Amino acid sequence: MMSAEFELSRNITIGQYLPTDSVVHRLDPRFKLAAFVVMILAIAICGTYVGNLFALAICIAMFWVSKIPLHYGLSGVKPAIPFIIILATLQLLFYGEIARGGTVYFQYGFVTISSESVRLVLVSAMRFVEVIFLSSVLTLSTSTTELTHGMERLLGPLQKVKFPVHAFALIITIAIRFVPTFAMEMEKMMKAQASRGADFGTGEWWRIIRRTKDMLPIIIPLFNVALARAEDLILAMEARCYMPGASRTQYTHYKANGKDYAALIISIIISVIMLYIPW
Amino acid sequence: MTSPIVDVTDLSHVYMQGTPLAHQALDRVSIQVERGECIAIIGHTGSGKSTLIQHLNGLMRPQSGKVIVNGLDVSDPKVDIRLLRRQVGLVFQNPEDQLFEKLVGDDIAYGPFKMGLPIAEVKERVEWAMELVGLSFDEMKDRPTFALSGGQKRKVALAGVLALRPHVLVLDEPTAGLDPRSRNELLQRIRRLNVEEGLTVIFVSHNMEEVARLAQRVYVMANGQIACEGTPRHIFGNSSLLQEHHIGTPEAVDILYQLREQGYAVDTGSFLPEEAAAEILNLIKR
Repeated sequence: MMSAEFELSRNITIGQYLPTDSVVHRLDPRFKLAAFVVMILAIAICGTYVGNLFALAICIAMFWVSKIPLHYGLSGVKPAIPFIIILATLQLLFYGEIARGGTVYFQYGFVTISSESVRLVLVSAMRFVEVIFLSSVLTLSTSTTELTHGMERLLGPLQKVKFPVHAFALIITIAIRFVPTFAMEMEKMMKAQASRGADFGTGEWWRIIRRTKDMLPIIIPLFNVALARAEDLILAMEARCYMPGASRTQYTHYKANGKDYAALIISIIISVIMLYIPW
Repeated sequence: MTSPIVDVTDLSHVYMQGTPLAHQALDRVSIQVERGECIAIIGHTGSGKSTLIQHLNGLMRPQSGKVIVNGLDVSDPKVDIRLLRRQVGLVFQNPEDQLFEKLVGDDIAYGPFKMGLPIAEVKERVEWAMELVGLSFDEMKDRPTFALSGGQKRKVALAGVLALRPHVLVLDEPTAGLDPRSRNELLQRIRRLNVEEGLTVIFVSHNMEEVARLAQRVYVMANGQIACEGTPRHIFGNSSLLQEHHIGTPEAVDILYQLREQGYAVDTGSFLPEEAAAEILNLIKR
């Protein structure tokens, strides 16, 4: 659609929160995150067709349970399609030696395509989609504040080995918080430069240098704006007496109930099933 | 009778159509601007002003309705969009953020170079645009952009758009965040562009003094619609209209309204400080 030419900020789903007040939304963020990590690990390990189909079905069901329209997940997959295709091509061409076994369909020089390498390709593609779906559900159903609070608590024990958990959580919070802001700034910058004759992405794709140069009128001002915003943020934090490394109290306290434990247990059960499906 | 240079008919726009976050930004908006006019668009934040002006140079395409600018139909997918953007110079809010070249002259030359003009003409246009905004070409063209004051940066950004030699100049809150002196100077420059260079000017503003000084006609927007339209005299002289749409008034008008409330017979249609002063002098003499 032509009118969506510059609508960057509206297409970014990272950090977008869709409050539908479902069961998933109300889960304790610590448990939600833990369940998410368990599922991601299971997806990363699971290498079978049926296991991944099962995972895919679960991911789609997650949208239904959290009352989020599925197209939110699909819009996250869309920009990833080129990467999935490139990845699949590379794996198909160069992984034949590594993913040995199974019946060999085709062999020429170093290119070996076997049932195992085909499986690798298809499973990787499915994993990609599953991970995008799951993370979409997580971020769409959890506000960024909840997410970072949850992460901070989960990582809490690491403080004993001098890991700067709070600083880490703060970095993540700020990074996520500013994604939509910079997307908006970038959109504004693209529009402003287009208004004085710039055009983006119209050069032939192989003329990388020219296309990079075309982006300079956006990137340089964006850096300026980012630095100015960083300075403002520092001032605002210091004005409210923020001290790096000082001991801090929390105003949010999470108390897990039965539902939260149930969610974690269910995710573990799903993961175990995924890993035990032999095909 | 010539046709208007900007002709918007029944323009509607919905953001994030088909999602729970859908928001109707424009609802059957129609505006007509004649060649050489100076038009103000006022209204609250979120009333659709920015969405409307982005349609004028094709940054946004009409979802429904028609936008025709100087004979170019913005809704036509085959329209020469670069020609359109050259004819309609759009200056965004805080345009000083968009400077990216090291030197002032280079930044202003960016647009003309993108048009593919020969270097002599680029130079001539840069000089012309710089003089128009009140920057001396010889003195300023080799200054680094980062070392300029806020007001100067804004002038450079404005010159960068003027160098395209647009027929229509669209400005989004041109004086926001400037100190009073830069503000007055910029306003005078814009007025001269309108009067002397014959540029059609459309500007968005929250500052009613500015609207009173510059605009020949005012469109008031509310909830994505044109709430009313008229000369500043008509708009500022109609207190029920002002109250209904929560429009602020220039200070001069405020004083006259207060005098009238106190029972003095004054003409509240006078909206310029000089006119208001004359009204008050009349009162004293009586």
